[in-house]
Amino acid sequence: MEVKTPITQALNDGVLTRQDLKSFMRRSDLPAFRHLAGWIVLLAATTALVHATLGTPWLWPAMFLHGIVVVHHFALQHECCHYTVFRTRWLNDVFGTICGLIIAIPHQYFRYEHCDHHTHTQLKGRDPELIELPISVWKYMWYITAIPYWRSNIGGMFARALGRISDADKTFLPKEAHATVIAEARAYVAVYALILAGSVATGSTAALWYWIVPSLLGQPVMRAIRMTEHVGRPNIADMRENTRTNLTNAFVRFLCWNMNYHAEHHYAASVPFHALPRLHRKLKGYVHVEPGGYIGAHREILRQLTGRTPRADLRAEAGE
Amino acid sequence: MNDASGARQRVWQDLIAVADLEKGDVTPVSLGARELAVYDGVEGITVSHARCTHGAANLCDGYFDGRRIECPLHQGLFDARTGAVLAAPARLPLRMVEARVQDGMVQVRL
Repeated sequence: MEVKTPITQALNDGVLTRQDLKSFMRRSDLPAFRHLAGWIVLLAATTALVHATLGTPWLWPAMFLHGIVVVHHFALQHECCHYTVFRTRWLNDVFGTICGLIIAIPHQYFRYEHCDHHTHTQLKGRDPELIELPISVWKYMWYITAIPYWRSNIGGMFARALGRISDADKTFLPKEAHATVIAEARAYVAVYALILAGSVATGSTAALWYWIVPSLLGQPVMRAIRMTEHVGRPNIADMRENTRTNLTNAFVRFLCWNMNYHAEHHYAASVPFHALPRLHRKLKGYVHVEPGGYIGAHREILRQLTGRTPRADLRAEAGE
Repeated sequence: MNDASGARQRVWQDLIAVADLEKGDVTPVSLGARELAVYDGVEGITVSHARCTHGAANLCDGYFDGRRIECPLHQGLFDARTGAVLAAPARLPLRMVEARVQDGMVQVRL
C-alpha cells in the first residue's frame, strides 16, 4: 500500500533532502525552556496589568490583552501534542496537560482529534477540526465571537465526563481510547469544580478576573487566528493548496510558537517549533504563503464571502 | 527458496552495508517489494517494516532517538529494538525483521 504523507511527498518532489529533514527534526530542551521563560515573563506582565487596573475602567482592555496571552496556551499545547516542544517526551505531556487545563481542551482527547486533522486536513466530513468557510459575513462574525466554539468545546467535555462519546468523536477515537478520554474529562471537570469550590469558600474572584473573563475576551482572537490556517483554502488533499502560512512579526511568532508557519508544520509535523522558520525558507515557493499575514488571510476570506473572489470550497465540489 | 516439503525456507539475505547506514539514525531500504527501516541504535542494528502500523506513514521519515522511533505523521512511538508500542495513537506493534551484521553487511532473514 503506498501512502503519501506530506513529508514523503516533499521528499519525493525533491524540495528537501533526508539530511535537511533530519537536521530540522533535531530535538532539544534548551529552545523550549528559553521560550517558556519568555512566556512566563509575558504572562506575569499581563497578569500584573490586570492587577494594576482592578477597579478601574482600564480593567477590560487589560483583561483583553491578558486574555490574548491566555488563549495562546493553545499554541504551546498544540506543539506539545506533537511532542516537538521538549526533547524529553514526558515534559510535552505535562505541559500539554497544564495548557489544556488553562484553556479547557483535554490534552489526550485533543491529541486523538488532531491526529485525524493531520491525516484528513481540510477534507469535509473527515477532518474533525475543519472550520467550514462560512456561508455569510454574519456567520463569519458569529464564529469569531467564539460562542459556537465554547458550546461545542465545553459541552463536549461535560458529555464525555458523563460517559458519552458522540458519533463525531467516534470517527477519530478508537474504542481503546474511550475510557482514557472519559477519565480525562472527569479529571478536568473535577479540577474546575475544586477551583470553583475554593473560590466560593474563600470569597475569591481571582479566577474570574485573571482567567475566565480574559479567556472569554481573548478567545475571539484565537478563533480569528485559527480561521487563517485553512479557512478559504480549497477542501482538497493537496497540502500545497489546503493550508496557509501567514507571515507575521516576531512578537506574534513568539506568541504562537511559530505556528503561523502552518503549511510547513503540516508538511513535517515532527519538526520542532524553533526549526519551522528554517523549514519555511527551505519550502519557499512550494507551500501557500499569505504575505499579508493574518489580516491578509481575513481579507481573502471576506472577499470570498462577499463574492469578489470564487469560494475556495467550490473547487472540491467542482472535482478539482 | 522452498525446501523438499515445499515450505518456504527463510534464508539470510544481504540488505545494506553498515557503512551506508545513516549513522545513529534510521535508514530506508527496499528489498524487493518490501520497504524496510534499518535502525542504527545505541544497542545495535535492528530492522522493521517501514510502515507505521497506525497511519501507514513511512517511519524512516520519523524521529529516532537511538532506541525509539516516532511516526512522522502522528508521533505515535515504537521501541525500535522490539517493535513494542510505547505511545498512542499506535496500537499494534511494529513488524520486526530478524537481522544480523556479517562482514560489514546488515543481513535479514525473511
